[in-house]
Amino acid sequence: MTDLALPSSSTSLRTMAGIEARRLARHPAFIIGNVLGFGVLVLMAVLDDAPAFGDVLSTPVVAAFFIGLPTLIATARLTRSTEATAEALGTAPGTEADRTKALALACLVPFAAGLLWLGLLLVVTVTESVHPNEWWFGTMPDWQVWSILIALVPVACLGGGVLGVLTGRWMRFPGAPAVMVVAVVVVTMVGQLPVAYESASELRLWVPWAMWHSGSDSANGTADLLAGNPFFYLLYLLCLCAAAALVAMWHDRSARTRRLRFAIVGVTVVGLACLALSMTTGSSENQRSEPIPFQVDK
Amino acid sequence: MNAIDLQGVTKSYGRTRALAGVDLSFDRGVTGLLGPNGAGKTTLLRIVATSIGADSGTVRLLGRDPHGTHGDVTAIRRELGYLPQELGYPSDMTAFGFVEYVAVLKEWNDRTRRLAEVRRVLDLVGLGDLATRKVSKLSGGQKRRVGLAQSLLGDPRVLVLDEPTTGLDPAQRADLRRTLSVVAGRCAVLLSTHQTEDVAALCERVVVLAGGRVRFDGAVSEMIRTAEGQVWLADDPGHDAVVSWRTGTGRHHVVGGMPPPGAVPAEPTLEDAYLLMLGADARTASARAAPA
Repeated sequence: MTDLALPSSSTSLRTMAGIEARRLARHPAFIIGNVLGFGVLVLMAVLDDAPAFGDVLSTPVVAAFFIGLPTLIATARLTRSTEATAEALGTAPGTEADRTKALALACLVPFAAGLLWLGLLLVVTVTESVHPNEWWFGTMPDWQVWSILIALVPVACLGGGVLGVLTGRWMRFPGAPAVMVVAVVVVTMVGQLPVAYESASELRLWVPWAMWHSGSDSANGTADLLAGNPFFYLLYLLCLCAAAALVAMWHDRSARTRRLRFAIVGVTVVGLACLALSMTTGSSENQRSEPIPFQVDK
Repeated sequence: MNAIDLQGVTKSYGRTRALAGVDLSFDRGVTGLLGPNGAGKTTLLRIVATSIGADSGTVRLLGRDPHGTHGDVTAIRRELGYLPQELGYPSDMTAFGFVEYVAVLKEWNDRTRRLAEVRRVLDLVGLGDLATRKVSKLSGGQKRRVGLAQSLLGDPRVLVLDEPTTGLDPAQRADLRRTLSVVAGRCAVLLSTHQTEDVAALCERVVVLAGGRVRFDGAVSEMIRTAEGQVWLADDPGHDAVVSWRTGTGRHHVVGGMPPPGAVPAEPTLEDAYLLMLGADARTASARAAPA
C-alpha cells in the first residue's frame, strides 16, 4: 500500500466493477456454490411427494449456505489476488479504496444470483402450491414475507460477498476465508439457537442470518413464525453490508478521510437503530400455525 | 524544468539509512542506476514512483510535489509508469486482462481506446500473440514483459523500471533495449539493474549508488574512462587486483592493482569501471548475492 496520501480518484468505478464482476462470476467457488444452491432447490421440488411445497420460509437457508458462503470465499480470494501487484497498482491514479469499492459493487452478482434463486423458489411455490395453513402470503402480511425472503436470500448472498471483501482486505493469513466461513456459521448458530424458541426470541436478531420459520413440527404439523420485525431486520442487514464495504475501504490509509469516518459511524448508528426496531416492533412473540395435514408425522 | 528533481533526499528504515542526502535530476533519456545490494536503488526508485515518501529533502516530479495535494499526486501518477522489482499477478487473469485492469486504474475509461492501448503495449513488448494466455502460464521472462507492458501504458513521461531485465534471456533483453530506445526519446527512463552491459547498451547516463550516497553521476563513456589504464590481460591473476578472473582464452582479466608481469592493457568495460569504483563494496555485495 502506498505511504502517500491520495484521496479517491475519478477512475471509472463502473468499468472496474464490471471487470471484478466478471472475475467473480467465473470464480470456481462461486460457480460450484451456485450449481449446488440451484441444484438442491430443484431436487427439493422434484423429490418432494407432498401435495404442496412446505416450510417455504425456512428454505432460504439453502441459498445462504450454498451461494452466500462460497461467495465469501470467492470475493476474499479475488480481493487478495491483487495484493502481489499492489506496489504497481498503488502508483496508478486509481487507489486501493477504488478497487475495494469496485469489488463491493461486484457483489451485485451474488445478489442477482440470490434474486434468481428466489425467483425459482417462487415459481416452485406457484406450480406446486403452498398449503393455506403455512406461514406464507395470506397467513401473514405480504411485506413480512417479502422482507424475510429478500433478507435471507439475495441480501444474504450480497452479505457473503461483501464480508469476503472485508476479509480479503484485513485478514492476511492463509485460510482466512475458510476461518471466516466457520466463524459466520458458528456465530449464526450460537447467536440464535439458544433464544429462538424462548420468550425473548427477538434477541436472536443480531446475527447475520436469523431464522424466521421454525420448520414444521412433524408430530402435529405446526410451524412457528419467530418474533421480530422482518422489514427492519432487512434494513439492519443492508447496513451490515454497507458497514463491511466501508470498513474494507478504510484499509487504504489514503482513503481515511473524515467523510469515510462519518459514513462508517452513520451506517453503524442506523444499523443499530434498525436492529433495535426489528427487536422491538413487529410480533413480540413467536406465533404457531394451524396444523398442516401433510406435515403431520411426515 | 527537469522531469525528476531530488534535493537532499533521505530515507531510513528503522536504524538503517537507505538514502543519505541524494541530489539528482533527470530529464528525457535513459539513466541507469547501478550499485551493490542495499545501496538504496530500489528505495530511490520507489520514491520517484510515488510508492513511498522521503523522510526529508525535496522531491519534485514533473514540477509537482508528490507529497502535495490530491491533484498534484494524481497528475504525477497519470504521467508515470512503474515496474517494481517484484511483481506478482492474479492467477485468474490473462496478460491482456491484467494490463487492461491497470489501464482502468490509469483512467483509460473509453473502452475502444483502452483496448487499443492495451494491444499497443503488449505488441510493443512482443506479447501480442500471448495476450489471451493466463499470466500464470507464462514464463518468468514473459511475466516480466507483462509487467513492463503495464508500465508503458499511456506513454508515461516518467518511466521507473526496477531490474526490468531479471529473468529475460539475451534475445528478450535485446528486445527490451529496442523497446526502451523507442520510448526514451519521449520520456525520462530511470532503470536499476545489476547488468552493466544493459546500462552500457541502453543508457546515456549512469548513476552509481553505494551506502545511500551517489558515488558517480555522468555519461557512461565518462565512467568507462575512469578505468582506463587499470585493466589488463595477464598470465597471473594479480596479487593486489580489485578483482580478476580467468577468461576463456586462459589468460586473466585483471582489474585494478599493479599490473602483473607480462600484462597487456585491455579495453575497460563499464563493469570494470564499476568494480574499480566500488572496490571491496562490490565484491562483498556480489558474494552476498551469489547463490550458495
